[in-house]
Amino acid sequence: MSATFWVWFGIAAYIAVGLGIALMARRKLGVGVSEFFLANRRVGGFISALTYSATTYSAFMMVGLAGLTYLTGVGALGFELTYLCGMFMMVFFLPRFWLVGKKYGYISPTELLSDRYQNKGVGATTAILALVFLVPYGAVQLMGVGYLMNGISGGAIPVVAGIIIAVVCAIAWSSIAGLRSVAWTDAFQALIMIVTSAAVLGVVIAALGGFGAFFSKLEAASPGLLTVPTAKGAWNINMFIGLALPWLFFLISNPQVSQRLFIPKSVTAMKQMLGGFLIFGFIYTLISVLWGFSATLLVPGLENADLATPKLLSLTMIPTGLAIVVMIGITAAAISTIDSILLTLSSVWARDIHRGLINPKVSEKGELRVGQWVIPIMAIIAFLFALWVAEKPGLDYMIAPLSSAASAGLLMAVPAIFGAFFWKRATAPGAMVSCITGAVVVLVLQLTGWRPMGWWPGTWGFIVCVILFIGVSLSTRPPKEKAEEFIGYLRGALKKGNFI
Amino acid sequence: MTKSAWGWTWFGFLLALDIAIPWFVLTRVERLSGAFLFWTIWAAAAIISAFIILLKWRGVEK
Repeated sequence: MSATFWVWFGIAAYIAVGLGIALMARRKLGVGVSEFFLANRRVGGFISALTYSATTYSAFMMVGLAGLTYLTGVGALGFELTYLCGMFMMVFFLPRFWLVGKKYGYISPTELLSDRYQNKGVGATTAILALVFLVPYGAVQLMGVGYLMNGISGGAIPVVAGIIIAVVCAIAWSSIAGLRSVAWTDAFQALIMIVTSAAVLGVVIAALGGFGAFFSKLEAASPGLLTVPTAKGAWNINMFIGLALPWLFFLISNPQVSQRLFIPKSVTAMKQMLGGFLIFGFIYTLISVLWGFSATLLVPGLENADLATPKLLSLTMIPTGLAIVVMIGITAAAISTIDSILLTLSSVWARDIHRGLINPKVSEKGELRVGQWVIPIMAIIAFLFALWVAEKPGLDYMIAPLSSAASAGLLMAVPAIFGAFFWKRATAPGAMVSCITGAVVVLVLQLTGWRPMGWWPGTWGFIVCVILFIGVSLSTRPPKEKAEEFIGYLRGALKKGNFI
Repeated sequence: MTKSAWGWTWFGFLLALDIAIPWFVLTRVERLSGAFLFWTIWAAAAIISAFIILLKWRGVEK
């Protein structure tokens, strides 16, 4: 039977297992908004760690990061590990999000901001930021799946067919039982991601003569890729900061991951979630980068670096069965991210836009219904965006830079989030003006391609955003009573749990 | 200094190394023992330091 048949068979098996898990999760589904969007804050440490890992790591890693490594070298490792280093900030933010989530019953990170700043406009502003910038991020996941299925099947499966499969699965798994089905399928998918990527890397390294021979060949064939900046000009400091800055604050700027900080059922679960994720992330990053380097040796000279992984998987040295399993692993990575994005966007729309601005008197049932409708709508928008981007050539339209560009927009919420937890003088006008102006700066620079002084859009946007947040906050009146109560509560609770 | 301030200072130090070492110390080292090895060890240090802090957390439910 042909490789295409086995690709379809693998996809069908993956969908069947995923669907089975999602339906099992539905049996445990209770009622209410907190149940649907947060699994009632009762998720254990193991599942929390795996759902956080699967949500964070997407097609970006084995397709986008591998492609970026292929094209630009070791700077890609530094860029991705800077994100992981940024996870050190979890020791500050995880307990804070978790404690206030439990105390005040927040459903979304944007709702937290509305309450802390005593202004629904702040939640709505950050919600719109998420809706605008998470679409391209979701779209790149779809592109990853499309490229991959197309490459592995030797072009027999069109890119658009891969994109449609990813959209349908993401809609199903986020709709069936909300966070419960997303978290359970995420756990299954995270295990597939790490096991299959490690296995295929092992096969490739063995074919190259083992780690020693692989490293020697790499140093001999592409020494320029092992330093920064490269001889071709990639990874100058401006590029590194431009790409890494949004990544550094990913843990709080991206609501689909910061919403996960509400879900652990206990402090022990929280510890397992963070510890498990850090180990997973470190291993998966090294695998993805080494995979990209192995592509420079085995499939050199590709015009589109995002095709490095599909081309590598189609080599005869990789057994067809393993290539298909890896394809499923990467597909799982993409879908586990996009279903989380859809779920978060639906909660943000239902809570902060619909209930916050449009219909404050909506019942919990009505709010939930609105959220469930948003899931397919956002999926279709991401689908259309993916189709548009898939036709575009150049570095700016590669998976990794596009993902980082999306996070550059979300970065504009970071000063407001820091202010909420650490600065009593922070105000709602400061938060809103800084978010909106920073996002406009990012969008304008991104769309025009203009980079004053060589600095990237996220860098300029962040500078403008921080200055405005501080300046406007100092010249407006803070919600003093709420700030005292919120930060005062945290001070006591943090001490009690020996958090820092 | 409070424990929190120590944490932020350590994090700032890690970020300073993130730029300083690869671009100003190892920029001519075109080997895996250069930036590749540095970033790997550097990230491991960040992870271990996070573990040291999180292992001291205790339950607040009681």
